[in-house]
Amino acid sequence: MRPGREMIDDPFAIQTDDISKHFGAVKAVRRLSISIPKRGLTSIVGPNGSGKSTLVNLLSGVLPLDGGMVVIEGAILKAVKAHENPAHGLTRTFQEVRLFDQVSVWDNIMVVLTKRGLFSALLERVKPAQRDRARRILETVGLWDKRDALAENLSYGQRKLLEIGRAMAMEANIYLFDEPFAGLFPEMVVKVKEIMNHMREQGDTIVFISHNMDIVRELSDHLIVLDSGSLLAEGEVDEVLSEPKVIKAYLGV
Amino acid sequence: MIAQRPSLNSLLAIVLAGAAAAYVLWKISQSPEQAVQFAFNGLSVGAVYALLAVGFTLVYSTVWYFDLYYGAAAALGAYGVFYLRSQETLGGLYAVNSIFVNVLFAAATAGVVAWALYESQYPRFRAHVDRPILLGAGGVLAPGAGIYMGFVLTNPKDLHIFLSPAIAVGCAALVTWILYQAYRSVLTGPVLRGLLVVTGAAATVLGVYCAYLIANTPEAKLYLSWGVSCFLAGVVGLTLYRGLYVYMRARSQSPLIMLVASLGILLAMTALTSIVFESTPRPLPEPLGNAPWTFAGATIKGFNVFTIGVAVVGFLFLLFLLKRTAFGKAVRAIGDDEEVSKVVGINTTTVIAVVFFIGAVYAAMAGILSGHDTAIQPRMGLLLLLKGWIASVVGGIGNLNGAIVGGFVLGMIEQFGIWDLAGEWRDVISFVLLILFLSFWPKGLLPRK
Amino acid sequence: MQPPADSQTRSAPNSRSPKALLAAAKTNVELWANLLIIGWALGFMLWKGVGFAIAIGTVFAIWAILTVSLNLVVGYTGLLSVGHVGFFGIGAYTVAILTSRAEYEQLRTEAIPTFGWPFFAALPVGVLLAGVIAVAVGVVFNRFRDDIYVLVSFGFAIISFNVFLNWRGLTRGAFGIHEIPRPAVGGWVLDGELEFLVFALAILGVIVLLSWLIVTSSFGRVLTAIREDEQAIAVFGYQTTHYKLAVWTISAMMAGLAGGLFAGWTSFVDPNSFILLESMLLVAIVILGGLATIWGSLLGAMAFVLLEEGMRFLPFLPAIHVGQARLVVLGILLVLLMVFRPQGLVGRYKL
Repeated sequence: MRPGREMIDDPFAIQTDDISKHFGAVKAVRRLSISIPKRGLTSIVGPNGSGKSTLVNLLSGVLPLDGGMVVIEGAILKAVKAHENPAHGLTRTFQEVRLFDQVSVWDNIMVVLTKRGLFSALLERVKPAQRDRARRILETVGLWDKRDALAENLSYGQRKLLEIGRAMAMEANIYLFDEPFAGLFPEMVVKVKEIMNHMREQGDTIVFISHNMDIVRELSDHLIVLDSGSLLAEGEVDEVLSEPKVIKAYLGV
Repeated sequence: MIAQRPSLNSLLAIVLAGAAAAYVLWKISQSPEQAVQFAFNGLSVGAVYALLAVGFTLVYSTVWYFDLYYGAAAALGAYGVFYLRSQETLGGLYAVNSIFVNVLFAAATAGVVAWALYESQYPRFRAHVDRPILLGAGGVLAPGAGIYMGFVLTNPKDLHIFLSPAIAVGCAALVTWILYQAYRSVLTGPVLRGLLVVTGAAATVLGVYCAYLIANTPEAKLYLSWGVSCFLAGVVGLTLYRGLYVYMRARSQSPLIMLVASLGILLAMTALTSIVFESTPRPLPEPLGNAPWTFAGATIKGFNVFTIGVAVVGFLFLLFLLKRTAFGKAVRAIGDDEEVSKVVGINTTTVIAVVFFIGAVYAAMAGILSGHDTAIQPRMGLLLLLKGWIASVVGGIGNLNGAIVGGFVLGMIEQFGIWDLAGEWRDVISFVLLILFLSFWPKGLLPRK
Repeated sequence: MQPPADSQTRSAPNSRSPKALLAAAKTNVELWANLLIIGWALGFMLWKGVGFAIAIGTVFAIWAILTVSLNLVVGYTGLLSVGHVGFFGIGAYTVAILTSRAEYEQLRTEAIPTFGWPFFAALPVGVLLAGVIAVAVGVVFNRFRDDIYVLVSFGFAIISFNVFLNWRGLTRGAFGIHEIPRPAVGGWVLDGELEFLVFALAILGVIVLLSWLIVTSSFGRVLTAIREDEQAIAVFGYQTTHYKLAVWTISAMMAGLAGGLFAGWTSFVDPNSFILLESMLLVAIVILGGLATIWGSLLGAMAFVLLEEGMRFLPFLPAIHVGQARLVVLGILLVLLMVFRPQGLVGRYKL
């Protein structure tokens, strides 16, 4: 952690305090305050356009905050910078899979394993330890045989898995997965679930967005429901899902 | 809500703009006559930039990539006029007439005429006339037009005589069409048909009379050479789109690929111009007499006023075309979403091809006006292109009104900028302006909604 | 449709058989490009003799340094810069001004300083100056992308050309700087063409080695990631602006080095060597050879030099038009490449 940064002893992995984001006149996130507990799986649900992806983008510094502040692993941040994510022990995947397309699968993993500093990167060549780590990750996501292929030539599901593998390579404490299950075949869903359960056993914090309520019920320990940029409900999965306003607003039952 | 604090950037922008305004005001108070002079020059130069920016933006806001051919189109226009007029205006000093160039343009014209016939007339006649007859008619008309264009280019001395038949036909057709549209709204049946025959005959007589007048007016050659040059630049623009860009766009959507391809075209055409006409600057003589008049202490050349006039008429025409006609609606629809426009039944390929034609004509006009004002050289196309590009970015990318405003703003700032610096720094001034704008005002003066 | 997740079949099981290899070779553009260009070079040399090879070797070396360095920016980092000739000019002019001893009767009134430095003292200054200017320019350019980047890099080329042409007190304007001495170490002057060729090729070798080290390091991998998705790689902890600035500066310094070499070789510089068209030409050569390969850039530079020299022997082309005719050919090639092979002859990256 950078010196001179204000720290608090925080029982939560991530807290937001009154954060807002608007695109022109559209308010994507309005004065949102949520808390994500340490360890375990937290899922974020909500109808389309409720600000789920925007929230993940704000937490990972892809979009700048318009107001409010964020506490990540005890560090109080008024502005989240994307390149400081590893310092916070945070990493993510994207809803629309964003790989380095015209680069091999191998290098897609390798690129996040190397040194961040300009000069150390200039002098660094691949070491056996890094090679082993990349191999382990590629074998976990089942892409070891495809390591020389360009990422753009993979199928959609493989791309999604590679992106998850890239996040795993970061060895972070907090993983933000933006719709990791969307568009996957059932056998791949099983694989992603396995990976996420494994992360939970290791004591990591996993936050994921999903539209599939069965998976949400099955996996998550904690649930956050968003509606048009505001918090609708937050808490244990079963409790939240039985709240009348959630049923009314979101599930529409 | 959080109060919006002025960021450092906008503060700096305000300071910069304030300093510039103060400087200009101070200069004006120093010598108002000079200021009027520079302002007028700025308007005149700005008109050229605005014309280019309009053509450029029209194309950009339709297909969403920068087509650098427009630089070559500007040079093509200017050199076209030079080509057609060099023998007389420079006392036969540079009598250029290359059979290679003539054949090239003749072929392009034939191709475009064939395309236009196929797109507009083929569907109309297909139901009534046999296919071989249609093909034969097209096979006569299109090469005929090409050969005719070749003849016109080979005999620039008699441009007015050679072009008069075309003017007769064009004039008659235009008058007949306009009157037919007027009749059609009130009349039907045999009356309409009878009236049409009478009108056609009258229009033919009118056309022949026009042709006769022009054939007897050697001074008309100047304006005719402008027209021919603009037409040729447009033809090349259309040919490039229909013959190349359509296929490239079908293969990939990356705007950078299109940009680099058009860079190649610009490179090749600029070099080709250098080979045919040598790369040293050439004068295009003052077309409207040399006597300048003075106004409020400023010397004003008639041609510069004419330039501004052409620009204004050009904008008004384009605005009318885009705001009031079905074609304009189609252009806007394609600019907003090409796929959807295809689905609702707009023939996107044809509409875009016409847009490329119009854009190239505007660029050629800008090239001709700037060439008459200063001199022509093969490199001018690239420089004018960059000015037009800057103007369209400064005015707001993809917005036609922005392009007009941007062109004049660029012209003014360039002229006031060289008041204290020497004139040779004008390109530097415009690029510094561009970078300032991109840094502090990246959306431009009037962003596209 | 997507194939199932665990379909781990790899393509063409017995692709190693000689028959298959031969069949693959027939459609292998890279192989043919290599064979054609190298064969062309060898054939030319056999036809015209060693003297000719020496004469065009230095031209090749200078172009190759420029294309290899530009490829770092255009091919690896994905920043389509058309302003590279500016740094080339900065290097050339710095060396020219610092080393030239010429006195000019015509320009006495302007009191132009002469320094008379030795070449090897002036060269590092030129390289450093190119680097310093690159940092200043790069900080501004870093925020632009794609087509706007092309436009502002055009701007850099135009501005630097105007400075060379119009800052007469320093550059002597269109008149140019004459009598630039050949490089000399101690008493040994590189005034023979062969000596200079060896020197230039040695520098080219160093540049190629450096570039190879850069692109195969972790730094190079990050550059390709920036090219593909700058925001995504930033999320994983990389300060992309620093990386872009660094590679831009390195590339500019290499171009400055090429410029210094050029000045020492021709012994005369004027603004006409640094016009915008040259810069566009450079981009065309880089794309022709291949984006994101060093070998491709060498091949592209070689093809271009051979093209230029080959054109001199065309019977129907007058000698004064060769300079323009190569632009026509390059322009048309660029269009064809964009249509059929956007990654260039042996490239690894499609624009």
